Amino acid sequence: MTIEPVSILATSFFSTHHASAADVLASSPRPAPLQPTYPLLVARARRFTSLVTQLHMEVCGALRSALSPTDPPISVFGTCHGEIQTAETMIAGIREGKVSSARFALSVHNTAAGLYSVATGNTAASTTITGGNAVAAAWLDAVLTVHETSRPVLLSIADEPVPALFQGPTQPFGIAAAFLLGPTGAAAPDAHVARLAIVPGDAAIDPAQALARAAAGKSGPLGSIQPGALLDLSVS
Amino acid sequence: MRLAVTGAAVANCLGSDNATAFERAFTGSDAFSPGSALCDLPFQTALGIASPLPHPAELGCAPTREATLAAASVRQLEPAVRAAVARWGAARIAYVFASSTGGLDNSERFLAPDARLPGLPTGYSYDDHWIDATTSAITSYLGIAGARMAVSTACSSSFKALASAHRLIEQGLADAAVVGSADSLCRTTIFGFHSLGLLSPSPTRPFSRERSGITLGEGSAYILVERAASSPLAWIEGTGAASDAHHHTSPHPEGLGPVLCMRQALDRASLAPDKIDYVSAHGTGTLQNDQVEAAAIRRVFERRIPITATKSLTGHTLGSAGLTALILAIESLHRQLVPPSLRVAPVDEALDVAMVDKPTAMPVHHILVNAFGFGGSNASVVVARP
Repeated sequence: MTIEPVSILATSFFSTHHASAADVLASSPRPAPLQPTYPLLVARARRFTSLVTQLHMEVCGALRSALSPTDPPISVFGTCHGEIQTAETMIAGIREGKVSSARFALSVHNTAAGLYSVATGNTAASTTITGGNAVAAAWLDAVLTVHETSRPVLLSIADEPVPALFQGPTQPFGIAAAFLLGPTGAAAPDAHVARLAIVPGDAAIDPAQALARAAAGKSGPLGSIQPGALLDLSVS
Repeated sequence: MRLAVTGAAVANCLGSDNATAFERAFTGSDAFSPGSALCDLPFQTALGIASPLPHPAELGCAPTREATLAAASVRQLEPAVRAAVARWGAARIAYVFASSTGGLDNSERFLAPDARLPGLPTGYSYDDHWIDATTSAITSYLGIAGARMAVSTACSSSFKALASAHRLIEQGLADAAVVGSADSLCRTTIFGFHSLGLLSPSPTRPFSRERSGITLGEGSAYILVERAASSPLAWIEGTGAASDAHHHTSPHPEGLGPVLCMRQALDRASLAPDKIDYVSAHGTGTLQNDQVEAAAIRRVFERRIPITATKSLTGHTLGSAGLTALILAIESLHRQLVPPSLRVAPVDEALDVAMVDKPTAMPVHHILVNAFGFGGSNASVVVARP
């Protein structure tokens, strides 16, 4: 099954351990890790933010000049693990019988979505897609939202390392990419066209590789979308 | 495009099945327990603790609290889903799940053990922490194989999931969708809401002059929606969503996000505000939230529309709150009876709201239901009688 195409109007990418999306795909790390600077958040809004939120803010902020001031985008945020480092801090607090109000406030999966809307004054709808297939599902929801509304949609996907405490996945770096999507009719001359298709397959797709591939403008599977089927992204 | 609701199920402190929960809701039963019934707390609060539930052995997944709560609704929804599979085929039925905390309770019990709490029935696995930890087990049990998604936008999660399901169906990727939600009480949320000064020491009293905060609850709520049905339980006529763009945890002082999302839901339903019979409010019982929501409702409806606040019955079930209130609204359409808002007297006169404070029979054709969350995440749904 294929889905009507959308335009990719702009893309941004950040990895704590790679200089580019291509370097993720080539397994070529930076000489030294780099933390995001996330200038979109100022003053008190920066306090207590986790790496995953900082990553979202970094890539969303990089696309700010591409946004229309008269048609602010609907946003779809994606994250497999969410605020997992904040969860570790909260659990440590529980062991000591206290929870920080500031940490708790920023512990929800849609923390980045909320801080982004506050920082930009954007009252448009926003959602946050999560779970094991978050890269694929967030792409699907974002593309369907473009078709539902005929409006620009900001798709931001990010994840931070899962603390060892949880005995989960061991990816050691933070990674994020943002894509400004729009209807094909509204395409800028240099915009890429993205087509999603649901294709047979059950291969395990690494979320970071899928995200980096999309950010590099390359086609390939984004991840599982239903039993026995992958969501495939074709970029032209 | 409107969606037919062809199945609905809840499990929460009112009851672990629809019949019990509905009977208690529509007679105004108080189902809250002291917080000490769950665990030792260094402060006083009430909680909406779900009734004892059977082990979800049939799901074949770890029997976490979240899975146990979800299974109680999934069992009830199963006949409707099986019928939908026969109509559309398994691969045409999507599954969109919503939760605010997912398996956090499970991780807490392992990583911050407390001798006063029941231990884990199985060994710890991070696989049980994810928001969508139960998705494979539940979709396998129900025999559905369409697109899968998990949504987590704090207390608006289940309405955002419904909006995603609507997109999947409207754009031809599915003919039906199981939209479900589950959130279990855990120490992080109890201590966290307390740290923000939002937890009421006594059972919550939304829109009362004497309101003092939230009563947390737990539960699951599931609906089955289809693109068409000959005899649906109700119609989802429209959904709306908007962001406050004001503060991460405090509502916009003029209720901007709530106003925008209520109007969008009405627009998408092609209904004028005067066609809505009552509003099922988000109604958390905090000073600020109720004040802002009341102002937003007045601005949208321009009249003293009847309001009920079902969190006074179920507690605030977080990511499950929207669907929980929606299912009570669907039952309200069936019974032509409005569930009461408990403990509302004396109503806060400054809010200028017409609270439904006892079970009230009245003609009900359209209801608007609100769900708002951290991050200024707001959503509304208009549901109609078939």
